[in-house]
Amino acid sequence: MPGFSRRDLLKLAALFPPAVALSKVISTQNVLTNTQSTTLPNVIIVLFDAMTARNLSVYGYHRKTTPNFERFAEQATVYHSHNSAGNFTIPGTSSLLTGLYPWTHRALNDGGLVERDLVGRNIFKLIGKEYKRIAFSQNIWADFILSQFREDIDLTLPPSTFGITDHIIGDKFKDMSSAYRALDDFIFKSSTPGSIIFNPIEKVLYSRIVAQNLSDDYPKGLPQNINYPILYRLDDLFNGLSSFVNRLSPPFFTYFHLFSPHAPAKPSKEFNEKFNDNWHPINKPVHRLSDHYSNSILRDGRRLYDEYVATVDKEFGNFIDALDKSGMRKNTYIILTSDHGEMFERGEKNHHTPLLYDPVIHIPLIISAPGQQNRTDIFSPTNSFDVLPTLLNLVGQEIPAWCEGQLLPGFSGKIDAERSTFTVEAKLNPAFAPIKKGTIAMRKGKYKMIYYTGYEKEDAFELFDMENDLEEMTNLYSSQSQVAASMRDELLERLHKANMKQTK
Amino acid sequence: MIRERFIKLALFNRLPKISQVAPVYALIVLMIYSWTILWFFWRLPSWLFFMSISEISVVFAYAMATNFLESLLILMMPVVLCLLLPKKWFYDKFVVQGASLAILVLGYSMWFTLRIQNEDGYPKQLLLLTIPVIGIIGILVYLSGKIGLVRKIIEALSDRAIIFLYLSIPISLISLGVVLIRNLF
Repeated sequence: MPGFSRRDLLKLAALFPPAVALSKVISTQNVLTNTQSTTLPNVIIVLFDAMTARNLSVYGYHRKTTPNFERFAEQATVYHSHNSAGNFTIPGTSSLLTGLYPWTHRALNDGGLVERDLVGRNIFKLIGKEYKRIAFSQNIWADFILSQFREDIDLTLPPSTFGITDHIIGDKFKDMSSAYRALDDFIFKSSTPGSIIFNPIEKVLYSRIVAQNLSDDYPKGLPQNINYPILYRLDDLFNGLSSFVNRLSPPFFTYFHLFSPHAPAKPSKEFNEKFNDNWHPINKPVHRLSDHYSNSILRDGRRLYDEYVATVDKEFGNFIDALDKSGMRKNTYIILTSDHGEMFERGEKNHHTPLLYDPVIHIPLIISAPGQQNRTDIFSPTNSFDVLPTLLNLVGQEIPAWCEGQLLPGFSGKIDAERSTFTVEAKLNPAFAPIKKGTIAMRKGKYKMIYYTGYEKEDAFELFDMENDLEEMTNLYSSQSQVAASMRDELLERLHKANMKQTK
Repeated sequence: MIRERFIKLALFNRLPKISQVAPVYALIVLMIYSWTILWFFWRLPSWLFFMSISEISVVFAYAMATNFLESLLILMMPVVLCLLLPKKWFYDKFVVQGASLAILVLGYSMWFTLRIQNEDGYPKQLLLLTIPVIGIIGILVYLSGKIGLVRKIIEALSDRAIIFLYLSIPISLISLGVVLIRNLF
């Protein structure tokens, strides 16, 4: 018998990397094309990070930021009072995917996750194995949440898919989930890096790549993730997504969490300076808990944001056209939404703030049903945790008793004028402790109450009439004492109940 | 052939002995691992809430394996200097100068790491600042071998730090094993 020489070993070793790569392609192909005969509809969720409904022309904003959303809405159901359950990615996304309030799932802090015992309560698991379940997030924080549901997801596309750079380190490991958490989130983490050697080296290398990757199409630089090294072009992203979706065989459920129009705003050449119209929004008083940005900074920030939204809108239009062309929309629910909003007023910009005014929590929700021809408008208040039960109902799955959301009106849900919904901000509160520092916004009928606790010596309440004062200019807390007392008692009771669990 | 052997032997003779390397490496380990462990414990309470003990242990293993590689990389600095510089300049005072080099470089690296997180765009100013800092570090390293009190303090410190190697090396090797196993099988 001939011996196994060193040369043979080297030959075998040389075959190993292509074999591993091929096995990945084969397994991906299985996910994409493993056909089943079915009548189940496909579901595509397209989530735009940090997209406030208040700056979209489809919701009446005077700048024409979203003509393609408007076109899409003509054959869809449009929710006009849809709020996020949280004010930034972690709580907002977790509520969407679990159907739970942030004070229940406890994903409250920067880089936080869904409580260990509740991980099984996710949309991917509930929608069932009949579906090919695919997840993609350019936002790493959302990707960490998705990594908790990995057992229930058939294919997770790495965050840098469709991107220009590939600086996410966890992607390179077979043990992706742990590698993300350890390397991308801890060792290379932005504000609290666990490494004093590799972290700065990586940071310098990435910033060099960003500086070198300039494009005439994006005068302010290419779109990018703010904290993690992901650089991309929006046309590449949406072209990639549409060709990916068109290759899928039904039934599939996809969750696409796209980073744009999250800051930094990078409008394309076509929309750069488009809204340089010298428009001055209503001047609102600077809030005591804001970062006290000047009005001119806020105006510039808003203009840039609007131009970026218009860029995103254009590419979304191309995406929808591609799906129309392939006939995919005939059997597909397309859900356009966001995880939270963005504000440029009261001395505050962006969304990492204790302020829960409408621009931060009012997000778009537009659902296009298979073959829908006409537009339906829903004005009653809804929340991001209502999406999960509605989707389950649409695909014929049971809604679990623990779900805190309700069916959306327009999709078998009833309009309940007296329903209370909450948005929870408790970023600085430890996730494992009762909420003693945070802001809670409560929406009931036409009223909205905002409760601030732990930020100042004394707790504070504000009350607004959202039907007659959408800009939240007049605090009715003192003048409408009956409504205020009733809503305050209910809010504190709900918070107390949520805190009881943590006290135990 | 004889010339090559001579060069190899000369280089080998210029390499510091294990007894010289250990205290320097111990100080490097102390600084690099402490930083990581500090932040690890800072995040531990929330991780305990979201992840199981085994998942947290895996994160710890990745962190320790990374630290191991980083510490070896930093150790290369005094070792390479030892090979390049005249014996009198570095080899004869390897412990003191190697340790002070490690302390100063890692100290600057800590400051640099915190500063660079707030930089938007390419950190040109910060990188330019590094050039004079390297010069200052060089001067301080040279002086550390000349000033008796400094020499004594650094020697005492690095000697006592050796105890950490008894912990860090086995933990790092186990961690490296965990990372390899999880990614190979």
